[in-house]
Amino acid sequence: MKLYAQHGYGEGEKINQGLQKGVISGAVYGAKDITPERLNDRLGDIAKIEQTAGRLFDPQYYVSLISSDPNIRLGKIEEYPYFKIRRRSQLENNNIVEEDVRSVLEFQVKLPVTAVISPNILISRSFDSVEAVIAKNFIRQAKKIYNPLRDKRPVFATLAISREALLDFTELESFLNDITLLGSPPDGFYLIVGARSTEARTDLYNADVIAAWMLLNYSLKINGFQVINGYADIISPFLGAVGGDVACTGWWSNLRTFSIDRFAPEATGGRQPVPRYLSTKLLNRITFYELHALRKIIPEVAIVNGLSMDDKYEGEPDRSDEVLQSWEALSSLLSAMTMAEDATINLKKCGDAIKSAYELYTLIKTRYRLDPKSDNSHLEPLQEGMSLFKKRAEI
Amino acid sequence: MHVEPPKPEDIKSVFPQFEEVHFLKAGGFKAVYKIIVNGSTEAFKIVYIPDISGADPEVSNELKKESLGRVAREIKILNDCRSPEIVKLGTIQPTPVVLNSREYVAYSEEFLDGDTLRELIRQSVKPTEQDLRLLLLSLLRAIRELWSLNFIHRDIKPDNIMKLNRKVDRSFVLLDLGIAFSIADTPLTFDASNRLPPGTYRYLAPEMLQPGFRESIDFRSDIYSAALTVYEYAAGQHPLSKSKDDLIATLSRIIQESPKSLREYRNDLSPFIIGTIDQMLKKIPALRPSNINLLIDKLGEDI
Repeated sequence: MKLYAQHGYGEGEKINQGLQKGVISGAVYGAKDITPERLNDRLGDIAKIEQTAGRLFDPQYYVSLISSDPNIRLGKIEEYPYFKIRRRSQLENNNIVEEDVRSVLEFQVKLPVTAVISPNILISRSFDSVEAVIAKNFIRQAKKIYNPLRDKRPVFATLAISREALLDFTELESFLNDITLLGSPPDGFYLIVGARSTEARTDLYNADVIAAWMLLNYSLKINGFQVINGYADIISPFLGAVGGDVACTGWWSNLRTFSIDRFAPEATGGRQPVPRYLSTKLLNRITFYELHALRKIIPEVAIVNGLSMDDKYEGEPDRSDEVLQSWEALSSLLSAMTMAEDATINLKKCGDAIKSAYELYTLIKTRYRLDPKSDNSHLEPLQEGMSLFKKRAEI
Repeated sequence: MHVEPPKPEDIKSVFPQFEEVHFLKAGGFKAVYKIIVNGSTEAFKIVYIPDISGADPEVSNELKKESLGRVAREIKILNDCRSPEIVKLGTIQPTPVVLNSREYVAYSEEFLDGDTLRELIRQSVKPTEQDLRLLLLSLLRAIRELWSLNFIHRDIKPDNIMKLNRKVDRSFVLLDLGIAFSIADTPLTFDASNRLPPGTYRYLAPEMLQPGFRESIDFRSDIYSAALTVYEYAAGQHPLSKSKDDLIATLSRIIQESPKSLREYRNDLSPFIIGTIDQMLKKIPALRPSNINLLIDKLGEDI
């Protein structure tokens, strides 16, 4: 599985450095935080840095349905020629769906992207809903409208799903049965799972959600689709283990977890978060000062990952080093846990990684108290999610 | 319901143009004979049109209509199919006949010289990997052809697949489209909500046992039955059904139990063929490989 940067506000040199260091293999730009002109330039720059780098653009069309909210923060999205505020009832009209899909695709084929992402709405509550019917229609239209454009690059259909929708397994199964049997299917899916808030970690660290997300990757891959997982962050290795091709994560929490509240009014007066270190051994991020403490308190165990960015954590790392460390650690996990063609081998490695993380947390607990965000509460849902996935996928 | 098949001499008395008539097999409402007509050998089929004496005349009529509808559908599909992996029609056009006071519809198909997979399984034949690849390839091509015409076979099983003795460009041929399901036409099954789906229970895909399956069924049910057939042929035994099981136990296994990997019986086979068969046997249709063209390409690479 490859790792791409999930672009957002405050890109700076992060993506360039990530590509130069070889810790990411591409980037997915988001319309909200870049103007159309700058986007074109940046995609070109990336191609110059690394010719083979994946260069994608998320049109973030799913915001169209909530854009009539007077408090919405659309950022640069409104500058894009395809953008329109839509009501759900309008999207029940096939002509409007076709018009919107065509407009997004025509915009993207002019860009130096390596693949094109077709738009979609967010399935916010259930697969048994009008939204899901509309979303399936968007997926159906992607290739149909893309083919006459005579572009050779692959087209990915956006599949944006809220975690609530993933909780009903029967409906998920039925939805999967439908989208894996389309008459004119896209080449792949740009899959996004949305939490209620970018800070609501437990929303996605939930066994049912993880199992469903894994099942989506597994099923789509078996049916010949490529799968790019947006905002996947530390769940990425578990998605890659069962067939996901690409995972994305960025530098802020709202680029690591997707939520439509990214577009909601910003709370003011927030402080910069404490820099964190992504531990491949704990499958979690801990604060830089916790890392320092653990190195001293548990000297007999190598807490650090043993990767090049570890050196930047002798003191407080700067923001760009923090993101590079995160990408480097995640890339290393992806190499270790997702490279076998046989999912059972990868899943065994994922299981072993969880077991080792539990053991290390147990040792830490005897000597040090971690911040709640750094504790082991993610391990149980990961483990249970994996078991549930295996049961459903009969692995 | 068992119907005694008519004797060859009864057939000959109604079809005097047949030079020879030999009984081959009977099952359900059908009987098959080998005939020689105008110097060529064909498989002559007669399908019994049930007459349920004592039943409500309306019910009896509906069941008769269903049987006639099924024969008509089978003939239509056989006429439309071009794939060599599906049996072809013969020279005798569908004809209503009365034999021993029973109503039948009779027609002929090409005569295929070979054995059904059921016979080969009984003989404990252990197929090679090449043989299994050819079988799977043939079944996938047949399923693809049927789906392109909006049909699902619904009764793929070892009894309905013939391995030909003379392999020119056909190795395996799929027979008997008598209960094929159309996703485009009006359903034929009378009183469907009170009856189990037609088909052989041991080979039914799990989704066909769900209420309302007709609304969502697709060719992946055939993919499942095809995998079950290849598995049974390779392993010499059905992966889920046990001979001592009753109907309920079999259906329960189909819904709930995962079959053992084919590797357990045939570890001499390549991981590709084992993995493909195992994957095609998943309970959830979306977890079975549905890109038939891709599968056919992969299977065909080494043949």
